[in-house]
Amino acid sequence: MIRFVRKNNKSTIQYKNSSMSEFKYDYNYNIDAKKNMTYDAIVIGSGMSGGWAAKELCEAGMKVLVLERGRIIQHIKDYPNMNKEAWDWELRGSITPEERKKHYKAVRTNWIGEGNKDLYANDAENPYTEVKPFMWLRAHQMGGRSQLWGKQTYRWSELDFEANAKDGHGVDWPIRYKDIAPWYTYVEKYVGISGQALGLPQLPDSHFLPPMELNCVEKDIRQRIEGAFPSRNMTIGRVAHLTEPLNGRGKCQTRNKCSMGCPYSAFFSSVSVTLPAANATGNMTVRPFSIAHSIIYDEQKEKATGVKVIDAETGEMIEYHARIIFCNASTLSSTRILLNSTSNRFPNGLGNDSGELGHNLMDHTYRVGALGTFEGHEDKYYKGRRPNGIYIPRYWNIDEASKSDKFVRGFGYQGGASRKGWGGGANVQDFGANFKDSLLKDPGPWEFFITGFAECLPYHENKVTLDKNNLDKWGQPTLAIDCEWKENELALNKQIQEDAVEMLEKAGLKDIVGFDKKHEPGFGIHEMGTARMGRDPKTSVLNATNQIHACKNVFVTDGACMTSNSCVNPSLTYMALTARAANHAISELKKLNL
Amino acid sequence: MKRREALKNTAILGGTAAFSVSLLTLFQACKAQPRLTWEPQFLNVEQAQLVSALVDTIIPKTDTPGGLDVKVDILIDLLYDKTYDEQAQQNIVAEMDGFNDKCNAKFGKVFYQLAADQKKAILQAEEVNSPKFNSGVWGCSVGEQKPVGFYRSFKSLAVWGYCSSEAIGRDVLKYDPVPGDYQGCIPLSEVGGVWSL
Repeated sequence: MIRFVRKNNKSTIQYKNSSMSEFKYDYNYNIDAKKNMTYDAIVIGSGMSGGWAAKELCEAGMKVLVLERGRIIQHIKDYPNMNKEAWDWELRGSITPEERKKHYKAVRTNWIGEGNKDLYANDAENPYTEVKPFMWLRAHQMGGRSQLWGKQTYRWSELDFEANAKDGHGVDWPIRYKDIAPWYTYVEKYVGISGQALGLPQLPDSHFLPPMELNCVEKDIRQRIEGAFPSRNMTIGRVAHLTEPLNGRGKCQTRNKCSMGCPYSAFFSSVSVTLPAANATGNMTVRPFSIAHSIIYDEQKEKATGVKVIDAETGEMIEYHARIIFCNASTLSSTRILLNSTSNRFPNGLGNDSGELGHNLMDHTYRVGALGTFEGHEDKYYKGRRPNGIYIPRYWNIDEASKSDKFVRGFGYQGGASRKGWGGGANVQDFGANFKDSLLKDPGPWEFFITGFAECLPYHENKVTLDKNNLDKWGQPTLAIDCEWKENELALNKQIQEDAVEMLEKAGLKDIVGFDKKHEPGFGIHEMGTARMGRDPKTSVLNATNQIHACKNVFVTDGACMTSNSCVNPSLTYMALTARAANHAISELKKLNL
Repeated sequence: MKRREALKNTAILGGTAAFSVSLLTLFQACKAQPRLTWEPQFLNVEQAQLVSALVDTIIPKTDTPGGLDVKVDILIDLLYDKTYDEQAQQNIVAEMDGFNDKCNAKFGKVFYQLAADQKKAILQAEEVNSPKFNSGVWGCSVGEQKPVGFYRSFKSLAVWGYCSSEAIGRDVLKYDPVPGDYQGCIPLSEVGGVWSL
């Protein structure tokens, strides 16, 4: 069983646009599991938020153990498919029925191919129960879903943090925009976000790298939509793709092969950025194939003292100890660990005095919108496969004038224009020599689409519970997910489609098709809540700095902590909350408060 | 209902696909029909003849390679074999037989045996009568999709197999593995064709 790389196996990575990186990509592995059982901090999970926890804590001089349930992925070295094209695979990148069975939950996305299948969890080994339909997409290896994410990166606004207090749904956030704003800036400067500043209160600007370009059709459509609807804006997507070199990382080469791994380190992932930075301190130890079973609570000390881990390969149960624990296993996995962490003090799961642990699950609605064809610019084309599109920020319920009487909260759209290229060939009503010629020469019509993401309210009855009758490969209880859209989300979706069709009409598009795929929750892959932050321990699990109210040395800073879910993509907020909580932890440890 | 009937027939004929290729080739040779120049993994010889003939009619060789030159027919057989589950395999076989039945009804022969103008007449009718694919958003088609039928879905597979082949994708379509900065508005003439990727 070889799962560790020798420490002295050093490699340096040369970047196209820069000198050598300061990152360290070969990790310190915990080779002898028994030898070092005690650390300053344990971080459960190495993905989007776990990477940030590891980096902040290591850089403060703490000895950190990062638990990863799957295999190690070393940046670049472990991207075997990053330069492959369709023709390099016998089946051109398609997967077999056996692979589909292995990923029987995740294949619903239609995104799994030969080149990225190994980044999706094995659903057969990791079952969950859909009490109501719910698509739970998981990534069980180093980097988690930060290797697969869409890179859309937006700040939440004051409107979002005030929403629950103002309309009475859920509980009030214990923080406001001003509390997180400096942390947004802090992580943005390091992550690298490209985008266009708009000065909108409902979508605060980030610290931006230069925006990616809109194509000519998108520019025309923007002008027409903004002309017809003065309160609406259309802008280039704000994305965690570098448009100029940053900290030794190269800029995006618009290959659009992100999920196969980026040789330029142009998109942000924990594998390419935060974990190597943590590793460069010499303070990080990674233990792969380590499934966090539960957090150990000491009734005398009234604190957590460590984490019980199942070795995924041997099934052995091992205990690691630390002064603080960061739970970053991903929204539902973190909650599963907490629910599984029972003691006399916490018989229903660690920190579950309120009974809210597992409840208030949210996601964004998905794939509701409109598309159409654009007439004009047939003599224009583009260069590059831009891993980005357009964004239309929320415009409903942002002030008195935009108040809806049909729903609370709002939605934003993503979308974009492109030519169909040879992919539209099957629809061309022709065959034979001329058909082949046009396939190779004529890029076909321009098509434009927008698709909405609506905010979901926090409902107590949308929940996950531990299912002790349905065990995973390691004999552990799995999750039963019981979640559905309700009246407000359905009303938002209706408005999304109506508005989308109307905007495309006003923009002069033809053959407009409004659509609502009626996807169940989970398709947004923005699951949030189930261990929410709040002001009152009686109604929430975490405090304003992401600590469990009654067990302050446990921090939960992934999507589980979210009190509401805005309508914008959440990763940036997870990162900012994590950096903020980690720095709070460091200062509390210095004050001997933890 | 038609689909169900077709499936029933397929179940009866289920053994066909398992017939050894050489045996079928022998039958075929006895009937003095054109030989198949490749050995299908999944299809029987008559189905393979249909696949080759369709590929050649949809994407013929001209001054650029045709579908057969880049082995699209062989790829399609492989995809049916390795990426279709059993149900999908049964369906596709039934659909192929149904397509040949149509040719038989019209011209008294299966597709690959037809003369060029008869093949053309069949495909022209298919082009007119087959619904088109709806556009998609992020890997999933949207709107109400009418069943496109065997011909249009086959054509889609053939086009994809052709354009994603190395000979076409690298050397005929405009191939730029590392484009650099996205440029959103350049003259089509500057590109001079359709992007490969």
